[in-house]
Amino acid sequence: MVNQLKLLLLVSICCLTQMVKAQQIAQIKGSVLSETGELLSGVSVITTQVGSKEKLIATTNERGLFSFNNLKGGSKYNFMFSHFGYEDYALNNFVVNNGENNSLLVRLKVTTSSLSDVVVVGYGTQQKRFVTGSVAKVSGQEISNFSGNNFAQQLSGKASGIQINESSGQPGTNPQIVIRGIGTLTAGRNPLIVVDGFPLTEGTSFNFINTNDIESIEVLKDPASASIYGSRAANGVILISTKKSKSDKFSTAIDAFTGYQQRADNIEYIDAYDAATYFAEARDWGYVSKNPANRSITDDRATRIAKGASLRELPLNYLTPYLNKNAGLVNTNWINEIFRQAPMSNINVAISGGNGKTSYYTSFNYFNQEGLLLNNGIKRFSSTIKLNTKLSEKAEFGITLNPSYTNQLFFNTNGGFDEPIGAALAMYPFFKPYNNDGSLAISQQIIANAPEDGALTENPVATLKLIKNNRSFFRLFGNGYINYTIAKGLKYKFTVGGDFGQSFFDFYNPSNLGSYRIPAPKPAIASETNTSLTNYLLEHTLAYSKNINKHDFNILIGYSYQKENNFSTAVTGDNIVDDNVRNIGGASTFSANPNRDRWVQVSYLSRLQYIFDEKYIASFAYRADGSSRFGDNNKWGKFPSVTAGWIFSKEHFFPKQSIISFGKIRATWGRSGNNQIGSYGSLAIVTGGNPANNYIWGNNVAAGFSANTTPNPNLSWETNTSYNIGLDVQVFKKIDITAEYYTATTSNLLLNVPVPQQSGFTTALQNIGELQNRGLDISISANQLNLGKLQWNINANISFNNNKVLSLAPGQTQIIAGNLANIITKVGSQVAEFYGYQVTGVFKTQDELNNTPKLPGSLLGDLMVKDINNDGLIDTKDWAPMGAYAPKFTYGFSNTFTYKNFQLTFSLVGVEGRKVFESNFATREESGEGFAMPTKYYFENRYHPVNNPNGFLGQPNYGNFSAARRAVRASNLFIFDADFLRLRDLQLAFNLPSSVVKKAGLTNLRMYVGANNLFTITKYRGYNPEATPNSVLSNGQSTSNYPIARTIIIGCNITL
Amino acid sequence: MKKIFFIPTVLMVLLTACTKDLEQLPITDKELSKFLTTEIEVEEYVVSTYASLQTNGLYGLYLPAMGEIPSDNTYDEVPANDGAIYGDMDEFKTVPQNGMIADNWRASYVTIQRCNVVLNRIENVPFRIAITKNARMGEMKFIRALIYFNLVQLYGDIPLAIDETKDPNFYFGKGRQLVAEVYNQITKDLTEAIQVLPTTTTQAGRVIKTAAQALLGKVYLTQKKYTDAKIQLDAVIASNAHSLLPSTADIFSLTNENNREIIFAIQFASGVNSNTEGSIMYQQFAPTGLISGAKGHNLPTRELYNKYTITDTRRGNYIALTTGNVPFNNKLKRPTVPADGGSDIVVLRFADIVLMQAEVETELGNITIAQAALNRIRNRAALANTTATTQILLRDAIELERRLELVGEGYRWFDLLRTGKAITTMNAWFTAENKPISVTSKFLLFPIPQNQIDTDPTIKQNEGYN
Repeated sequence: MVNQLKLLLLVSICCLTQMVKAQQIAQIKGSVLSETGELLSGVSVITTQVGSKEKLIATTNERGLFSFNNLKGGSKYNFMFSHFGYEDYALNNFVVNNGENNSLLVRLKVTTSSLSDVVVVGYGTQQKRFVTGSVAKVSGQEISNFSGNNFAQQLSGKASGIQINESSGQPGTNPQIVIRGIGTLTAGRNPLIVVDGFPLTEGTSFNFINTNDIESIEVLKDPASASIYGSRAANGVILISTKKSKSDKFSTAIDAFTGYQQRADNIEYIDAYDAATYFAEARDWGYVSKNPANRSITDDRATRIAKGASLRELPLNYLTPYLNKNAGLVNTNWINEIFRQAPMSNINVAISGGNGKTSYYTSFNYFNQEGLLLNNGIKRFSSTIKLNTKLSEKAEFGITLNPSYTNQLFFNTNGGFDEPIGAALAMYPFFKPYNNDGSLAISQQIIANAPEDGALTENPVATLKLIKNNRSFFRLFGNGYINYTIAKGLKYKFTVGGDFGQSFFDFYNPSNLGSYRIPAPKPAIASETNTSLTNYLLEHTLAYSKNINKHDFNILIGYSYQKENNFSTAVTGDNIVDDNVRNIGGASTFSANPNRDRWVQVSYLSRLQYIFDEKYIASFAYRADGSSRFGDNNKWGKFPSVTAGWIFSKEHFFPKQSIISFGKIRATWGRSGNNQIGSYGSLAIVTGGNPANNYIWGNNVAAGFSANTTPNPNLSWETNTSYNIGLDVQVFKKIDITAEYYTATTSNLLLNVPVPQQSGFTTALQNIGELQNRGLDISISANQLNLGKLQWNINANISFNNNKVLSLAPGQTQIIAGNLANIITKVGSQVAEFYGYQVTGVFKTQDELNNTPKLPGSLLGDLMVKDINNDGLIDTKDWAPMGAYAPKFTYGFSNTFTYKNFQLTFSLVGVEGRKVFESNFATREESGEGFAMPTKYYFENRYHPVNNPNGFLGQPNYGNFSAARRAVRASNLFIFDADFLRLRDLQLAFNLPSSVVKKAGLTNLRMYVGANNLFTITKYRGYNPEATPNSVLSNGQSTSNYPIARTIIIGCNITL
Repeated sequence: MKKIFFIPTVLMVLLTACTKDLEQLPITDKELSKFLTTEIEVEEYVVSTYASLQTNGLYGLYLPAMGEIPSDNTYDEVPANDGAIYGDMDEFKTVPQNGMIADNWRASYVTIQRCNVVLNRIENVPFRIAITKNARMGEMKFIRALIYFNLVQLYGDIPLAIDETKDPNFYFGKGRQLVAEVYNQITKDLTEAIQVLPTTTTQAGRVIKTAAQALLGKVYLTQKKYTDAKIQLDAVIASNAHSLLPSTADIFSLTNENNREIIFAIQFASGVNSNTEGSIMYQQFAPTGLISGAKGHNLPTRELYNKYTITDTRRGNYIALTTGNVPFNNKLKRPTVPADGGSDIVVLRFADIVLMQAEVETELGNITIAQAALNRIRNRAALANTTATTQILLRDAIELERRLELVGEGYRWFDLLRTGKAITTMNAWFTAENKPISVTSKFLLFPIPQNQIDTDPTIKQNEGYN
């Protein structure tokens, strides 16, 4: 929705009257101008004599003039001026004098209504009122309330049908963008991002797009709008338009903010004393439960060994002082050690201006965000250079360049034990991160826990401080164009675009750091990866627009060619004898892994839009794409679309004085494609020359090669076919309401189909299966609602979506995914549904254990689960569906209140009907296995016959953790309600009074305090209720994902 | 300004020719339809077939464990470790989701498919020397037979694929083939391999004729076809290509690999090519404290260690004790880099042939020949001649000798299955160990991996695992 603020009604009337006594035929002439003095043509002027019902109608000509000839001299008339994009103006009781000398000069004020907006669509623009497809527009102003570096983060909650999942809080990580549900299972899920007409490679990092430069973002949600981008549009298209000079005046704008971030999660672990109790309980019960008849909790170490106890059944000697509750022992909270309060700051300087023929815009940006994790974060230096010039009346030339340099300190955070977050969960509070002399404490837990096989985890603070994982990126993208007007209405445009990227990853893991199970010193590891990307685009378009009476035609044809080359070389260094040189230079042997790929796309595109009488709209678009990625038999895809719209409020029968000031219904049908598979997905690739394929004859290495994928010459696009119907209504001229219903069916899914393994393969990429998304998007926005001196802008949206798998491969009824094979995509159900047992309690007596259906291997203290099919056996047939990550609906609610010089802005974002499967809780924190640290929730609710007899979670058991307990990891205990309502952004700003600002020699000075994610209301206990991997099939499987930050900042906007 | 218009027009003309750019071939990878057209390319595919024998799912780690950990020979130090994939097998709690089974199954069929690809294409590829081409065909047939022989013993009825996969969907709904059919294919492959394989090779590690004969002998023995087995085993012995090494200390020495006793072994080496040709088995099968990162899987039991008499040279050479007196498998030699073990994994060696000979002759009633064979093994280990004089006593003596001689080589569980003693032996073992575990006939086969059944439900699970 637009923000058109602070225009005041400015209507001036000039009337010259002459007194004439007798009533004669009178004539009146007039002209209508905009506030800025532009002559307005096509303005409708209606006049009625006061007391009469007869209407006279006139329209202004191209010079803004209108006239009425047969008026009655000396009578009073009412005039009504109306024009699209302007506020109606009524002039009442105007006395028309005799003769021809009556004249009127009317200035109309631009309406604050969004309907006059111009919306960027693929390869052109349209007036919003004539848009028939589903396009959401968000202004740069709106997204800037969220302080960050990433437009996708900023889009969260701002428009209907667009869901942003911030699955990781690591600075520089792309959030997931889901437009109208997920329409693919195993092909890429990324929408197409087009910056100023240049389509970036799918999946590209968003870090290279300076959000301060964004003028507006348009999201093409339905395939009919997106089909002009053909085979790359099925996941939706995001068009980013960057700022350009708004006037010839030289202007400098400075935007700066700084602040700090802290964790915004609800995770809570127990302290060392409770942990000691927990580990002791787990080891004791593991020991005893193996043979209760022969073993006792009071058996000492030697007795236990004699009775055949395994390492995990022995007591941990160092726990004794904790169990005795001695005061002042080491009690480390590892989560607090690895995380910190981290600063974030941004400064942006934009300079723009022009000289009538030429305009320029250039910006310089420095952004620095440290991560919540120690020694982690991102820094970016970027610039935008934009120049447009008129070479002649007919020709125009422009160029945009976006260079940037980004440096990232990166850590993997997928929950692994050698990753900082994964390790912290397995770090016992009995160990310290630093020695007394301040040096890092290395491998202490690994050494201490080895004899009894506890968690053998390296100090994650040391991991964070000693591992170097430095990633730098140089990126330059942009384009140049020539516009040439061949004849009136006929424009040719030639565009050359390019995207060049170089990145360098430098990794070093020194020898004085251990890894899981392995204490330091161990051999150092070094690697580096160089990648380069070259992508270029050539485009020719010819646009023709013609107006014949009430018929408007817009025709577009075009040709596009895009080619991308990727190179990467990963070099690993081995035999690093000392840590003197901390990169691969210190190695004495090397292995390299080169990789290159290339894809080419050739496209022909066309669009015809026809508007009749500004009431009836129809359009047809057609794109043909050829792609090198697909099989020889299916190189070309065809993507048509048809749309229609009817502005019913323009009909004569529609009451003019209705509260509904605008109304349109529209419908679309269209097709788009998804081509996101590897560059050579249709071929059987023979790989080798690597260790896995090499063999050694005695001591002589021989290189081997073999196929690891299956060929498929018929491989082609996923096709998304969708219908969209929409209603746009404006009431009271201020409130815009849009409601849209859609159904989108993806057929020929690019599916990595699991295949019978006797084929020699586990999966094969095929075009098989169908998936349907249906949903409803509703948005309401209102601008400049006046509540006394308080002005209120509001934008609310809600989006419902549900998906259903219609079919998979022949004979295939489901695809199973997830760490515990309990995320199932079944025909007839939704994608990636969680399954599991319904836990009903804990086996506390032998009687219960003997007389209740149970999982094989169940012990006392294990979990009782529901026998759903009542067959007396517990097996996976008793799994019940337990929801999915894809929410039932999402909503956003943004408000701006302006009072004098103050402005308060805030946005709420919410998700309802979402589940997250916390697989790390299932296997570690809340499994009761006595291996990793438990959460406070688990500890307080665990069952123990003596220490906690009323507990309802499984009894801690380490050495004899049963197969039944492992099976119950797939259960409702770990499938969490992850609904949330979040105050996404909040900003309180103060505009310094212009008198003060002028004295300081400035044009404008605005200061603000702001916050991101100030609060989140959720029942979710894990790190991040948005956690999910990229794989669609295991959507919503959380593995201790990097928590997102709560950020407090102060900032200012200065215009010189 | 007309000039500006001219430039893109020229470009446009150039560009229309660019649609042929839509044919893009891999740059750093090869493509199957254009591969295996020359002798060199066939050799590369053959190498990768051998390489797949090194993977974790096969001889790199899991197969030797699957052949031994269910038995009384070995145990798991921390049964819950690594998702309990070893511990569950050790304690007869294996579930269809067991990751070791999944890996073994997948790796088996990947290897078989590589054999199938070579066998399907080699006919039309010209070789400089016809014998080489024949040898490669024999090698692929041997490897395919070896993998099927393992599968059929571990899982019973299994899917049988002997053609190159053109369309993987073809296998949906094909189900499992009967054990007898699988054995027919194994016998056919080995018989054909014997006819074309050379008797020696210059490249240590390649399959030779005696390997195929030895394996066929074992296949027949497993099927209790003693006369057929005798023919093959006698042929191996008569070939004079192999012999028992005089000292048990030399057989598994890293400096004496591929010696005369070794008939077929999967090759590994330390410190080669950035430590990529070593094996992680030593680290995985070492008790805690023996080496950095030791996992304590598949450790020899104390009970077995105690079965060696003091004078038995195999005590120490085959099983040694850590400083903490924990027995460990000393046939695997300690590497410098823990996960880069250099010990080859022996699949067939002459001592096994001699013991099989003893077994076959016992069953055929040739007691003297059987005793002589058994004594060859005993005498080498500095033990006196056997005292067993009857068929029944000899069976037990041979069984014990196989445990002592072949421990840590992944044979014991297959021996128990072959002799039909698995259930009684294991139940006695658990009773002695004071462990409340009961072994029933369902455990004689492993479950089919759950993911295979999920993919194609026409493949039915083994009885008792549903």
